[in-house]
This record gives sequence, C-alpha cells and structure tokens, in this order.
Amino acid sequence: MTTKESTPAVDNGMPSFSDVCEGWHRATENLDRFNRMLTTDAKIAQTPKEVVWTLNKAKLYHYIPVVPEQDRKPVPLFMVFAIMNRPHVLDLRPGHSFVEYMLRHGYDLYLMDWGEPGPEDKNMCFDDYTLEYLPRAIRKFKSVSGAEEFSMLGWCLGALISTMYAALRPDDGLKNLMLLTAPLDFSDQEAGGFTRWSSNPAFNADTIVEKLGNVPGEMIDSGAKMLKPIENYFGSYSMLWDKIENPGTVEAWHAMNTWVRDIIPMAGGAYKQLINELYKENKLVKGTLQLRGETVDLKKLKANLFNVIAEADHITPPCQSESIMDLVGSEDKELFRVRGGHIGIMAGRGAEKNTWPHMEAWLSERSGG
Amino acid sequence: MSQSKDNQTFDPFDPTGMLKQMRDSNMETWSKIMTDFVNTEAYAESTGAMLDAWLTTSGPFRKAMESSMAQAMAQLNMPTRDDITRLAERLTNIEMRLDDLDARLSEGAQSNDTQTTN
Repeated sequence: MTTKESTPAVDNGMPSFSDVCEGWHRATENLDRFNRMLTTDAKIAQTPKEVVWTLNKAKLYHYIPVVPEQDRKPVPLFMVFAIMNRPHVLDLRPGHSFVEYMLRHGYDLYLMDWGEPGPEDKNMCFDDYTLEYLPRAIRKFKSVSGAEEFSMLGWCLGALISTMYAALRPDDGLKNLMLLTAPLDFSDQEAGGFTRWSSNPAFNADTIVEKLGNVPGEMIDSGAKMLKPIENYFGSYSMLWDKIENPGTVEAWHAMNTWVRDIIPMAGGAYKQLINELYKENKLVKGTLQLRGETVDLKKLKANLFNVIAEADHITPPCQSESIMDLVGSEDKELFRVRGGHIGIMAGRGAEKNTWPHMEAWLSERSGG
Repeated sequence: MSQSKDNQTFDPFDPTGMLKQMRDSNMETWSKIMTDFVNTEAYAESTGAMLDAWLTTSGPFRKAMESSMAQAMAQLNMPTRDDITRLAERLTNIEMRLDDLDARLSEGAQSNDTQTTN
C-alpha cells in the first residue's frame, strides 16, 4: 500500500490572489479612514457646561461639577486660554480631558472663551482683554461661585493676560496662579522663530493690521506650522498613516486635528501690541508696559505661582517663561519643567501621567478653605 | 539577513511604502535642515518682504472693491460693512454698561438679603 504525500506549496514570494484582494481591500479602507480623519470633525469639548456670562464674543463657561459639594475644593479654578485659538484643547475628548481630570479631583471649574473677533473688534488690545473683559468675567464668576478667593490657570497668551491681570489687580482675590508656556520675556532675540521673524525690520505688524484689520487665523496658523515645517506639514500625516489601523491613536489624532483646524483670527490691536511692545521692545519684563495708563509691575504679583515650562517648546521657548520667577513678588513660587512641546505637555499622551498630576497636587495643597 | 531583505520588499498595497522608507531614513535630517533654515535671518527677511509686497499690491484692489461695494450698498439703501461694524462697536459698549448695571443690581440684592436676614 502506498500513501500519496501532498507536496507543500513552494513559497516563491508571490502573494496569492486572495492576499492581493485582502491587501487591496485593506488599503482602500485605510485610505478611506485617512481621508475621513482629514476632512471630518471629531466630537471634542464634550464635558457638560453652562454659559454664565457673555460680553461681545467672550463667554464664561461653568463646568457641571461631578463630585458632591462637600467633597469639592473651596477655591474654584478659573481657566484663561489664548486669544487666537479655541479653548477646546483643555477638554479635548472624553477620557482624555484636563477639564474632566480636574472635575474628578473636586475642582469647581470655569473657562474663559474669548470667542472669534469680528471686524468690529480689530482695535481690541491687551488693555481690553486684561482690564475690561477679564475683571468683568471674574466679577461674575465670584458672584456665581460665591468664592472670595480663586485660582487662575493661563495658557500661552492666556498666561500673558493672566500674569498682567495678577500684577495689576493683586488684591482681587487671586490666590494661586498657574502659568503654562507663558510668553513673557523676549530679551533673547535669538530664541525661537517668532522672535527672529518679528524682530526683522522687514516684518511690520502695523502694516499687516492696517491692511487686514484682524490677523487671519490662516496666517497665524501657517506661521506656527512653519516653525517646524517638516513635522507639521508632513510628519503628522505620515504618523497618522503609519498608525491608521490603531483606533486609539487615530481617535487621538482626529480630536487634535479637529482642534488644530478650527482656527480663528487674532484681534489686530492685540497683535500689534504683542509684536511691537512685547516681542520687539520687551516692555513687560522691562517694567514699562502700560495698560489703560497703569504700569504692569511684576513685583506686585503676589499670588502663589506655579510656572510650567515645556522643554521642547518651539512656540514659547523656555527662556521666555523662566526669568519671571525672579521678577514676580510671589513668595510661594515653583518652576516645573515638562518634557514635551507647547501643546503636547497638556494634550499629549503623557499629559495625564506627567503634567496634570503635578499641577493638581500643587493646586490641591493651596486650594483649602 | 533575510529580515533586512524582508524590510526592503516593496509592498504594492502600501502606496506610501517607499515614501515611508525614505522618511524613516531622512526625516530627522530634513527636519533639522528646515528648522534651521526658517530660523535664519535670510528667511525672516524674505518672508517679511513677501508679506509686505502682497499687502502693498493687494491693498489698492481691496480698497477699490470696498469702495465700489459701499457705493452699491448706498444705492440699494442698505447698510455698508462700516455701518454694521460701528453698530457692533456701540452694542459692545452698551453690553458693558448693562454688565456693570447687572453687577450693581446683584450687589444691591445681596446686601438687601443680608439686611433682611439680620
């Protein structure tokens, strides 16, 4: 009796027809997903909130607390974001949101959303943001929360506004000030692309504002992206393609891209002031910056200070935030360095393990009654 | 050896496969070159000059367009962009006054409540 042995297929490196079909199917699915990620919006800023105050385009949101009143921190937190982006990055997506994190830790949270300036706001400058809008929002916030003392968190230009406010209104109840990637000191004119570009005589902020009114969001966005052109115009998309079959990464990328694409213009007056009086003349640190005729004296800033610096920040290089530690009048102050970029330290994958717990721990110690 | 051969195999179903290989080997270098380039004085100067040229050349067109639109709107008895802008500015001022009034009323109501309680 003889047995017929089956001959094993010879692997000649050629894919079989079914492999080809499967591969084709997978590639078209991936392309479709890739296209969807680029052209659709993810659901971001989903944490429930209510509007408690409005003025012009600005809105003050109060997040609905998630812990019982008796377990909440007595000192509420007021968050101020930059004026040329939406503040949704603080509440990016469910399960990965700084707002959610702080609510879970018992904070009563308020968020200042400056809104999108229209042509009628082209003359709005930091005087208006710091001394007209912010004090009014804080007045309402105090009345709604019932708190006399409060903490403030400012990010990027929001940190600049918060710092100026803290120095100009030191007796307004501000107990703790947390600054994130705050552009304050421009004495090093070689640090960072923005400083280099704006210090060049060919760059004229007055002409831009005179001709355009508000500075278009596209202009600010492309300026920020050109600081790291390869990463922003190519690396980000190639990373998405690499991870296109990983739902977690794709979801995170989609949420971030939704926020990045939602660009808004910057009020012309504030832009001129930022370039001329801060980037070029460094008036805040020199002590010569005046808002509504009042000199911003950093020595008058008395609130407890927690200054967060992103070590790989190409938008606000560390040197633009560090020196403030020696200039403010605060007795309780701490500088905290985080590995990461301008946005990544708060919205990146490591934020929940590195940045948020440190910020919360510092604030928690100082948020007692 | 065989592994490195596998890595180099061209995958017809990954349209960015070759690009990916190029990227992996050159990305860091390109990134550094470009970042250094945009941080040069020459780049700052040329960008500033281009922006200025664009604003200068597009300015007259924009102005002509605005003025013809304003005339057309006037003919149609419609408010121009400037009219609406001025109105919006006035509304913001009124809003600020209302906000102050609201705050005073709240303060008054609170102090009344306190007096009544006492």
